[in-house]
Amino acid sequence: MTDCVRYAPMIGAREGELKSEERTGLAEHLDGCAACRARAAAQRATAGLVSEALLAQANRRDFGPFVDGVMARIERRRSPRGILARLRAAVVHHPRITFGAALAPVVAALAILVYVRTAHDEVARVLELNSEGVDMVVQTSDGPLVLIDDEPEGT
Amino acid sequence: MTRRVAPLSYPAVRRRRPVVPCPAETVNFARGEASVRMEADDLALVARAKSGDGEAFRALVVRYQRKVYAVALGIVKDADTAWDVAQEAFVRVHEHLGAFKGESAFSTWVFRITTHLGIDAVRRERVSLKDDVDEVREADLGDAAEGILGTALGSDPQATALRRELLGKIQAALETLPEKHRTILVLREIEGLSYEELAERLGIHKGTVMSRLFHARKKMQAALRDYAEIVQEDGGGGGGDDAE
Repeated sequence: MTDCVRYAPMIGAREGELKSEERTGLAEHLDGCAACRARAAAQRATAGLVSEALLAQANRRDFGPFVDGVMARIERRRSPRGILARLRAAVVHHPRITFGAALAPVVAALAILVYVRTAHDEVARVLELNSEGVDMVVQTSDGPLVLIDDEPEGT
Repeated sequence: MTRRVAPLSYPAVRRRRPVVPCPAETVNFARGEASVRMEADDLALVARAKSGDGEAFRALVVRYQRKVYAVALGIVKDADTAWDVAQEAFVRVHEHLGAFKGESAFSTWVFRITTHLGIDAVRRERVSLKDDVDEVREADLGDAAEGILGTALGSDPQATALRRELLGKIQAALETLPEKHRTILVLREIEGLSYEELAERLGIHKGTVMSRLFHARKKMQAALRDYAEIVQEDGGGGGGDDAE
């Protein structure tokens, strides 16, 4: 029975679909296994019936309006309403991708906001002037900076 | 153990499908000399459609509408959903016509799109059965009416007087299959894909293709068991007696 597990799925293979050793092995197995011969017979008896059944069902349907329906869909896709409908469908059918795509600019905006605020704080610290007389001491993020007036006193 | 199917990108197609002679016992519309001529004709229509010839595109739709619908019906089961899927497939074809390079047959490309849309439609409805194992085990080799089918239906099903009823039973049996088994059986039977082509289309190994086909056929045969017993009792079976 172990050989059946290996060879049963090979029943129904077409020319060229099995390697030569598989083909030989299957032929030898079928010679000695009545169950697999019955499987092969059932396979031959039902071959093509699925295709025939589905095509028979398709042939019973009226395809008169089909191509006009296709062209109408194509026209609707081109319209602005069609584009919005497709966007809506994308949101419905791919929520994670849509959420990620919507989240990305929000994250980027927050990052820019944080960066700008940090830079502004540094500028504000630089502008804190501590004027004692003529010389000014500027507080920067790197420490105090003394600005010395070049003009001599009294001029 | 289930395997997640990796989505295949389309409309890009990697290699040309080889033309394989059609086995006599298989009802298969995708192979043979006639299909080679049709492929050349398709490419001519595609070239005209690309340049804006609406009638050429309509001709392509009319040529493949029934087969595309049949493939969709086999996958999604519901007739109205299959109609939608089939129409949507041609809309996608129209949208991506400029990208079609002719490396594969036009029909292969259309059916590939149809398969994707059909599988998407089924998964959106979340109608899937749990019994969708891929490997073949000892327990799977149980009786599935093989012996009955071989004699009741005979070697020439066309000789069976109850053919129409049989086809109805086939359709009903197909609807009971899990989506994975139904899809692979439909692609094998209608589009005539080889094991390698099925493996590429569905993103699975060749061994998995063979296992799924085995399971799909076994379930179909089991579903036809009652019908085959009726036929056998009525003496309507046996090959060749009523053959043309």
